[in-house]
Amino acid sequence: MALFDQRPAYAHEPTVAPIEHRFSPYSDNGGTILAIAGADFAVIAGDTRQSEGYSIQTRYARKVWQLTDNATLATNGFAADGKNFVKRVKQRLEWYEHAHHKPMGLKAIARMIQTMLYGRRFFPYYVYNILGGIEEDGTGAVYSFDPVGSYEREACRAAGAAQSLVQPFLDNQIYFKNQTPAPGAEAFVPGRLPMATVLGLVVDSFTSATERHIEVGDGLEMYVVMKEGRQTTDLTDEGQLPAGMKVEELGSMGEGRGEKTFLVSMPLKRD
Amino acid sequence: MNHHPGAWGQPLPAHAQFDMFNPGQSYRQAPKAAPITHTQQPLVTGTSVLGIKYEGGVMLAADNLASYGSLARFRDIQRLHPLGKQTVIAASGDMSDFQWLKKELDSILREENGLSLTDSHPSLSPQHIYDFLANLFYARRSKMNPLWNAMLVGGWDNKKNESFLGFVDLLGTTYSAPTLATGYGAHIATPLLREAYEDKAGIDGKGPLLTAEEAEKVLADCMKVLFYRDARSINKYQTATVTSEGVKISDSKSVETEWGFAESLRGYGAQNQ
Amino acid sequence: MFLTRSEYDRGVNTFSPEGRLFQVEYAMEAIKLGSTTVGITTPHGVILAVEKRVPSPLIESSSIEKIMEIDAHVGCAMSGLTADARTMVDHARVTSQMHAFTYDEKIGVESCTQAVCDLALRFGESVEDDDALMSRPFGVALLIAGIDEKGPQLYHTDPSGTFTRYDAKAIGSGSDAAQQSLQDAYHRQMTLEEAAGLALKVLKQVMEEKLDENNVQLARVTPEKGFQILAEAELKERIEAIAA
Repeated sequence: MALFDQRPAYAHEPTVAPIEHRFSPYSDNGGTILAIAGADFAVIAGDTRQSEGYSIQTRYARKVWQLTDNATLATNGFAADGKNFVKRVKQRLEWYEHAHHKPMGLKAIARMIQTMLYGRRFFPYYVYNILGGIEEDGTGAVYSFDPVGSYEREACRAAGAAQSLVQPFLDNQIYFKNQTPAPGAEAFVPGRLPMATVLGLVVDSFTSATERHIEVGDGLEMYVVMKEGRQTTDLTDEGQLPAGMKVEELGSMGEGRGEKTFLVSMPLKRD
Repeated sequence: MNHHPGAWGQPLPAHAQFDMFNPGQSYRQAPKAAPITHTQQPLVTGTSVLGIKYEGGVMLAADNLASYGSLARFRDIQRLHPLGKQTVIAASGDMSDFQWLKKELDSILREENGLSLTDSHPSLSPQHIYDFLANLFYARRSKMNPLWNAMLVGGWDNKKNESFLGFVDLLGTTYSAPTLATGYGAHIATPLLREAYEDKAGIDGKGPLLTAEEAEKVLADCMKVLFYRDARSINKYQTATVTSEGVKISDSKSVETEWGFAESLRGYGAQNQ
Repeated sequence: MFLTRSEYDRGVNTFSPEGRLFQVEYAMEAIKLGSTTVGITTPHGVILAVEKRVPSPLIESSSIEKIMEIDAHVGCAMSGLTADARTMVDHARVTSQMHAFTYDEKIGVESCTQAVCDLALRFGESVEDDDALMSRPFGVALLIAGIDEKGPQLYHTDPSGTFTRYDAKAIGSGSDAAQQSLQDAYHRQMTLEEAAGLALKVLKQVMEEKLDENNVQLARVTPEKGFQILAEAELKERIEAIAA
């Protein structure tokens, strides 16, 4: 049945070799995600554009998901896998809470995500995950994963379409790569920047990526997870955020220790 | 650009999409001697379907053609299908998969309806049907045995009193937006639909929505452009509306077309020079 | 107690008209034949102590093993058909390791106990293609001791699969008298040394033979060193200490 075989340009010669036509179960839906750890908070961000090739499928599709009071997960890659993976993770979190009478800690979630991803080693979830939140010791943390489960705790990570644009910027600004402290000044320590600086870096990362990458844009969602008892004024006070940004405190998801999650959103360019 | 359903589900590197010299082919490797492994392909196919939210409802449109390759094989098939009183689905892609799906969904709805007669059983909302379809399409793609369709689900949620519009395809990819289109329509109609929608509602969608008449007009416009540009389309289509009043599927209709300009085009039709 | 012995005794999973599962109740009786086992919780850790019956001088007493490690932070002592405990401890060990592998954290003591109890009622007549079931209930009770983020804990499991948390618990043949002694002497602010001493004293009280380092086994779980079975030398010291 050669009805749909499209004759390629090189096929003007008699076709000796047959044409393989196979279903590919994957797609790339573009977009970019990013997370940065502070001393007692973490920011997990993603744009809201979902695309395939040159088509924008929707200008609002969620890529960042609040999992527990102290953990938020960003997914990027093949959107269908991303959504279904998050669904599975949430299911496992619920089972864990039933079995062990406590919410899963951040590092436990990180390890579980590894086992879940590696469990599909031979039919992977085509998804890059970044997990951010508050560790059991109260520190802000970021874990990044590859699609088959390799993972690492870091101070920051960008993934997705504009990873190659954003990560070098973060390496410079968060890890202070290619910067030298002034003579006599204190040594740089990554993961200790104040809230305003971190949010500024996130916004600059995404506005820049939006300018230079066609798959990034439309909207930006930044989830801010804060340690229990931490002052929230540097986020929620009048005038802390530039005009056009919206802050919303997300309710508690269960019996945590009192960590708070905020959603900061703003529009990005739509072209 | 290769919009034919036969090209769906194939790896599409972004840079290969607009290779106008080797449309849809440039990304393919020259085949070495290998077995023909036609795992699956669509046979009888429907082209794009469109959807738009308007004031008090949602409207879908699909033409009446089912093609067999480039042959306009069946010219009076309906690609819009009501599911209960709150939901309509519209299918592009493989029509036999769509027929199987209709049968499956109808049977589920029959069972739900049976329960609602004896009980205060809640009826399936558009969101429920959409989630079911998304799970089904994703499960089938995960078994490497996809349902070769791109579907729109339109509906009116009577409980939330709001419209619903969602997309799901053979990969299990899902998304929602106030205007949606599948296949060729995603390229040709989406800009027209978004423009019409945003002119009134604004980019944040907070302004007034289109009226039913305006929505019907923009859909007719899109169907016309698609008929001009999409070789697998036909000038005979239906629209479906879902409002709090229920589902209405229109009779088949056509748009006024103008082909006079073709006479003056070189290389088009009979010309001596 | 068993005046209503009847056909309901036969099917291992058949309820009697009074709503009892006799085989399970008989299994609990088997534990009362076992050697006495004691567990005591303190704010600083948990003590497990068990009597080893050495009926013949020709027995190598160190081959009797009634306290076993489950994970670095959990251990258990047993009374009853100790062979049955192997199945349970095996399962608990696998579950603990699986938990550590999957979640990068130590399993909770209660979760570990629950894992053991999940096995308890998997007996009866197996139906076709059922997973192989056990033919009878376990004839053993465990005292599971451990430390997790909730602090030192002691759980008791029985053949019905029920588990209960205790400050101090005695099981086995001398359990009635031992439990009474524990109740009289226990207080919540005990040091670990006091608890070890109390455990040995209680055993001494209910044992027929004279207590020595060969017919008793002692273990502790502490936040610093986790689960440890006391070496003979240390055990001997402690026995001498309570004699004094």
